Amino acid sequence: MTQRFLSQAELTALVAELVAAKTRVIAPVRAQDNPEQLDYMPIQKLEEATFGAQVPRRSLKEFFLPATEVLLRYVQTKEGVEIKAAPTEAPPFVIFSATPCDASGLDVVDKVMNWDYKDELWFGRREAATIVSFLCAAMDAVCFCTAVGLGPDSFRGSDVLLVPVEGGYLAHIITPKGEALLKGKGKEEIPASAKAAAEVAQSAAREKVEANLAKIPAEFAGWLAKNFDHPLWKTLSLRCHGCGACASICPTCHCFDIVDEHDSSNEGVRRRNWDSCQTSKFTLHASGHNPRGSQNERFRQRIQHKFSIYPAKFGDILCTGCGRCARACPGGMDLPTIVGELMAMAKAEPEGGSNL
Amino acid sequence: MNIYQPYLMSIKEITDETVDTRTFRLEFKDPEVAEKFTFNAGQFGEYSVFGEGESTFCIASPSTRKGYIECSFKASGKVTRALRRLSVGDTLGFRGPYGNNFPLDNVMKGHNMLFIAGGIGLAPVRSVIWTCLDQRDQFKDVTIVYGARSVGDLVYKRELEEWGKRSDINLCLSVDPGGETPDWKGKIARIPTAVEESGVKAEDTFAVICGPPIMIKFTLPVLTKLGFPADHIYTTLENRMKCGLGKCGRCNIGPTYVCKDGPVFTAAQIRALPQEF
Repeated sequence: MTQRFLSQAELTALVAELVAAKTRVIAPVRAQDNPEQLDYMPIQKLEEATFGAQVPRRSLKEFFLPATEVLLRYVQTKEGVEIKAAPTEAPPFVIFSATPCDASGLDVVDKVMNWDYKDELWFGRREAATIVSFLCAAMDAVCFCTAVGLGPDSFRGSDVLLVPVEGGYLAHIITPKGEALLKGKGKEEIPASAKAAAEVAQSAAREKVEANLAKIPAEFAGWLAKNFDHPLWKTLSLRCHGCGACASICPTCHCFDIVDEHDSSNEGVRRRNWDSCQTSKFTLHASGHNPRGSQNERFRQRIQHKFSIYPAKFGDILCTGCGRCARACPGGMDLPTIVGELMAMAKAEPEGGSNL
Repeated sequence: MNIYQPYLMSIKEITDETVDTRTFRLEFKDPEVAEKFTFNAGQFGEYSVFGEGESTFCIASPSTRKGYIECSFKASGKVTRALRRLSVGDTLGFRGPYGNNFPLDNVMKGHNMLFIAGGIGLAPVRSVIWTCLDQRDQFKDVTIVYGARSVGDLVYKRELEEWGKRSDINLCLSVDPGGETPDWKGKIARIPTAVEESGVKAEDTFAVICGPPIMIKFTLPVLTKLGFPADHIYTTLENRMKCGLGKCGRCNIGPTYVCKDGPVFTAAQIRALPQEF
């Protein structure tokens, strides 16, 4: 890992160079339908992008697991069926000014996408992407990245992390991909004052999020598993509409549906679409039986999957603490508050709930 | 090729098992795949009708027979209804084999076997039965207890007849009270009673059981009463799935993924699962 100093002009030139070479560049820009929100969108020049102002309303997930994508095309002929599988390679693209939570979310989801079977569609895009993150200074009251072991300056999932300093940026170069992107750019000598300023900015950002929620202890996963049948789940989900908005905007929710769409009399596509465990038909059997028939069972699944099942299986909490679900929820379900309450219960009753 | 791309198979034979249950014999279109394809009894696949989607069920044929697979399904959802509209010679998609299997080779060989099935639950059990019968000398006594709501609901009738004639199988057929026909020669009892009265011994015996949840619920205590330890009772679970590969996130029962940790579980493992299935 190395560091480099980039001036604003050098960064602007880098984006121009990439765009000229027909590389897709993506960065947060003011949303077309709502100037108060940011969306990750393709840009032509750096000036279009907004750096570190706030967490974009949707995560980077859609660039790796699109809301809908074609898995294969089929044509039915007299002789049978011909299949054309979707290509697994993607053209290279660069993401600028990703929030560190979004970048790390991709790294967390990599684990399930590579669980015995490699999802080449996901990894084709992962390999094609170079991610330049930006020190997050946009945290609000529902941010809790430090609670899940990440942080506003986390390197995880990023190829480069930019920290704004006087006259430009201190670039932490994290991976060979980041190295390749910044090859010959900027200066290797970094003024001591810039280094010091970056450190101050990074630790100030961390402290700000840390104040929202304490770090989730390792034992929490086991406590949740033990308390699968605790009555607390019935109370927790009372305000949940089961709309699934939380899953759509979540950087780590990766559940999907597979459906066929018939285009004409003999052709069509098989698609993968985002899906959510919060909707009532997610687990519904054709027989009518539903293993998660009520909203409290579905909400329990969401919490258990993120904070117990995934950590037990893959060693990572399936949550980046980005706070989007709390911002998007029409019922006011506030994940950091809920996790905070559960942590308090776990502390008070480490051996399991008294109602067990 | 990506992991969601199915093999193409053609329907070689269609057998109507009951009014609503049908069996397909399927052969791989690509001779290279046909040559290489292997599976173990208990594994499942994603079967697809192009334009309608995919549906999950077990492979119902034995792993000892190469070159084809069979599946049995009941028309109950969009895809299974579409499967019913297919004819001999039509093409469907198949992804698999997925999941774990019944441990015939490493656990059950050399012991007595008790197979218990209700209704279409015989499909996965049939795969194990034939795999076992194809190497009959490797197993001791084989007992099959099979029942359905009515005579009309019994599946694989020709095979039931064949099993009934074999001297190396103890077959007990049963229908629920009221489901018998005037010429019915089998038992008239529900499965738990049929198992209890079958005279089967728990000692040195492994049980394989599959059927509706209510049947399993009332049969497990009978097996326990007969002296079967929970880790000698195997069953296979079903849950809604999309990928079959551990990614789409809907078949898990708490921390256990039916598609990857299952579908085959012992009664001991099922007892340890959260009550969410």
